[in-house]
Amino acid sequence: MDSAHPSRGVADRLTGVFWSRPKLLTALLIAPPLLWLGVVYVGSLAALLLQSFYSIDEFSGVVVPEFTLKTYAELLRPSNFDVIVRTVTMAAAVTLASVAVAFPIAFFAARYARGRWKALFYLGVMLPLWSSYLVKVYAWKLILAKEGIVTWAAEGIGAGNVLGAVLAIPVIGGNSLSTSYIGTFLVFVYVWLPYMILPMQAALERVPGSLLEASADLGAGGWRTFRSVILPLALPGIIAGSIFTFSLTLGDYIIPQIIGSSRFFIGQAVYSLQGTAGNIPLAAAFAVVPIVIMLIYLAVARKMGAFDAL
Amino acid sequence: MTAAVEFHNVSRHFGTVRAVDRVDLAIDEGSFFAMLGPSGSGKTTCLRLISGFEKPTTGSIRIFGEDMGDVPPNRRHVNTVFQDYALFPHMNVRDNVAYGLMVKGVERRTRHERAEELLSLVKLDGFGERKPAQLSGGQRQRVALARALVNEPRVLLLDEPLGALDLKLREAMQDELKALQRRLGITFVFVTHDQGEALSMADRVAVFNDGRIAQVGTPSDVYDRPATRFVADFVGSSNVLPPDLTRSFGGPRLWASLRPESIRFTGASDPKAKGRVTALRYLGSGTRVALETGGQEIAVLVPAGAPVPDIGEVSGLTWDPAALHLMEDA
Repeated sequence: MDSAHPSRGVADRLTGVFWSRPKLLTALLIAPPLLWLGVVYVGSLAALLLQSFYSIDEFSGVVVPEFTLKTYAELLRPSNFDVIVRTVTMAAAVTLASVAVAFPIAFFAARYARGRWKALFYLGVMLPLWSSYLVKVYAWKLILAKEGIVTWAAEGIGAGNVLGAVLAIPVIGGNSLSTSYIGTFLVFVYVWLPYMILPMQAALERVPGSLLEASADLGAGGWRTFRSVILPLALPGIIAGSIFTFSLTLGDYIIPQIIGSSRFFIGQAVYSLQGTAGNIPLAAAFAVVPIVIMLIYLAVARKMGAFDAL
Repeated sequence: MTAAVEFHNVSRHFGTVRAVDRVDLAIDEGSFFAMLGPSGSGKTTCLRLISGFEKPTTGSIRIFGEDMGDVPPNRRHVNTVFQDYALFPHMNVRDNVAYGLMVKGVERRTRHERAEELLSLVKLDGFGERKPAQLSGGQRQRVALARALVNEPRVLLLDEPLGALDLKLREAMQDELKALQRRLGITFVFVTHDQGEALSMADRVAVFNDGRIAQVGTPSDVYDRPATRFVADFVGSSNVLPPDLTRSFGGPRLWASLRPESIRFTGASDPKAKGRVTALRYLGSGTRVALETGGQEIAVLVPAGAPVPDIGEVSGLTWDPAALHLMEDA
């Protein structure tokens, strides 16, 4: 048969099948990740949620697989509730500090850094992410230790008494930086900072320079332009970054274990409850807390219009 | 009368690039002033020097006689319509227009009323609630205009205001801008690379080339009596004749400009010049005929309906003696 179209091979026919049914290709492409997310991720999350509605028999230590809210009630016991308050307060403080520190860096990178400076910015922000998290945290333990470089430097410039005064603040102070909440806070901010800078910088990058000029042209000073133009447009980036810093702090159990007072954070509570104590239901209930807090946080952010500019 | 805007020997260098090079300029109050030039000729930098987004490297700028040496953009009584409109995407149209008043601390009701007035001035009544993203290009342009007018500037700067619009809309907006300027009576300074736009809208035109002003004058000065070869060529693509050709065309040995539409084909036995047709370009309203004469290409614009010679044909040419405009050797 004489045809304008040459005879077709298998691959060619397959292309034809996909071409005539575009949805089939989409379905095939998203099926594996969807299965992974659906079964492995959401499935285990559902199992966790289920466990949190079980309880433990106080005498035998055996999990009773019957629906109850008893375990959640246990979260409200002062010793447990303190852990939640402590963790949420720390996460909020870390997030606010990250916003404050990241903004000028992100703004500079988005507005002024070009070419080589931009490369340097990315390198500077990403470099800490390439080295081991544990190594960084231990390095900070040495830096913040009583005999560490911070104490040494503070004494060297005659600010030893300032450091002493800071450490003397009740609750957040302590014997040394590395055994106080201040130390935990500093290390959290250091470790999560890139996760705040990058989305913030991406958001600021999308704000055309002409908008800032238009604001100035209409009579606005720097502070007014910041409040009315830059901040609202950077908000989605700030929210994205704060989701990282907030949730990562809520879930972390290594930093507070290495640096800080020995009091528990949620992550440590989960770790010890599901391990030595064998109280899976309470561990699961603890683990649900950050999820609920994040859902509330996102709902509030949405209500405030943080995603309007997306 | 003090000029609305004055440049005294103003230069703006970016590294080794002289974006604006020793410019002197006076823009009359209440005029519609065009800065015309190809891209990179310094016209936009001049506009930004007026708004304050650039500072002169040397020289001084006065606005209504007041030196702008240390006055930042937000303290100048000029407003700008930006090329990309620069509307705030997170605010609705009304808040965009009212922004200048909000900055001044005008209370909400008053500024919203004023914003609505300006929206109706630019024929956008009822669009206040929309976001900029929901508007067409032409509508955004009007919002940018209303926003720039809200603070009642005495000088309005427009940076390629019609550049992003399609042809029909652009022509309609040209008329509207002109009418608006007459109505408001304030000074409009606008930057464009489109000579047709500059000639049809402006009272006065400054033609920029390489950071310098090649000529300032009324549209007909610039078009009919170009000062330099550059102006003749850039404004209306005139035939720029080298001294020898001018001479053979019956003029003195000087550079000259001869507009394509001033030349006619003639069957007379002793035409002013003869040329061989090399190319034809049909334009709708006429045909542009390229001819070779004396080793030089010149163009003739034949109006629609008039006979057009064929390619290869040798034709006689004639023109009104006044059409041959002599230029300084520049």
